[in-house]
Amino acid sequence: MATTEQLPGDQVPEPAADAIETDETDADQSMPAELSPGELVPPHGGHDEGGHGAADQHTGLVNPKLGMWLFLSSDCLFFGAFIATFLLYRDRAGQSGPTPGEIFDIPFTSATSFILLMSSLTMVLALAAIQRGDHRRFRVWILATALFGATFIAGQIFEFTEFTREGLFIDTSVFGSSFYVLTGLHGAHVSVGILWLMSLWGLSTQNRLPTAHAERVEVAGLYWHFVDVVWIVIFTVIYLIPN
Amino acid sequence: MSDTTDVEPKSESVIERLEDHLPARDQHSAPGLLPGEVSKHPTPVQYVTIAVVLVVITAIEVAVSYTEGTIPNGLIVVLLLGMAGVKFFLVASWYMHLRTDQPMFRRFFIIGSVAAVLLYFIVLLSLHAFLEI
Repeated sequence: MATTEQLPGDQVPEPAADAIETDETDADQSMPAELSPGELVPPHGGHDEGGHGAADQHTGLVNPKLGMWLFLSSDCLFFGAFIATFLLYRDRAGQSGPTPGEIFDIPFTSATSFILLMSSLTMVLALAAIQRGDHRRFRVWILATALFGATFIAGQIFEFTEFTREGLFIDTSVFGSSFYVLTGLHGAHVSVGILWLMSLWGLSTQNRLPTAHAERVEVAGLYWHFVDVVWIVIFTVIYLIPN
Repeated sequence: MSDTTDVEPKSESVIERLEDHLPARDQHSAPGLLPGEVSKHPTPVQYVTIAVVLVVITAIEVAVSYTEGTIPNGLIVVLLLGMAGVKFFLVASWYMHLRTDQPMFRRFFIIGSVAAVLLYFIVLLSLHAFLEI
């Protein structure tokens, strides 16, 4: 390990664990002699050469994953609010326009649900591929995931078009409002996920997504699977449970 | 640094100080694991197996929804919610790696999802939503 040049106020890079175990002299060289014991490890932040975002935090948790899980945890409450609103209003008496039982096309929605489930499978296969350094397969699987997501969105647009033809608009009834807002927000999440996946695919085609950055794929995968589990709940609660 | 015996005590001292400050991930992660993992991710074969199970459960769900009128609605609701719960659990634990990642991630997600269910169940109860349905 070469001696790093220190700038005023610069942070000390975290020494690699293998250097500690195998090369004591190198470990010694990486520590400027004037550092006090409290300066061995900087109090916050550090250089993240591996791109994992894991360097130099004292909780032992990986920052990008921790951030994503916190976001998903809050998103549970976000979607919960809209699902609860839908349950509250779906069968309110005196509503104009078609009812859920009249317009829902269960076989069609089952097919789009199947597509979204398959996209979760291709997502984990993409992660497994990049973890073992198979970048060609990673690009195939990540592109397949994005295409499955796009197919799901296309199905949702078709479904919305059919519903409007049958007279259900967002302002037709409280059922229409709560249905379009809930499923539309889910569709917006899927759309953001597609953009994210395509950006990963683009980075990989430019060789800017090495295996060492596989965690970026994992964090994107967490978001994608969350979108899938939310749809599992929506499909059951909104479409399948009888009125 | 020509005299190793002179350097060694100082090096050992530095190592001890470094080990005290190493992030916990270095104490948990084994070689070949991504940061934050406690054990290996599932294999592709296991991923495909989970996908098959998910598809089968979805097919059963759709079939159960068509039994409306032949079995009590309450039973249909319980069955559908149960199967959705199993699918939710399978995706979260296997595809989102909550089985193999650090327990703190699992706690965050459980807190968020349980809080959402409890909160909105109470809200719906207070608004008599279940009487309407």
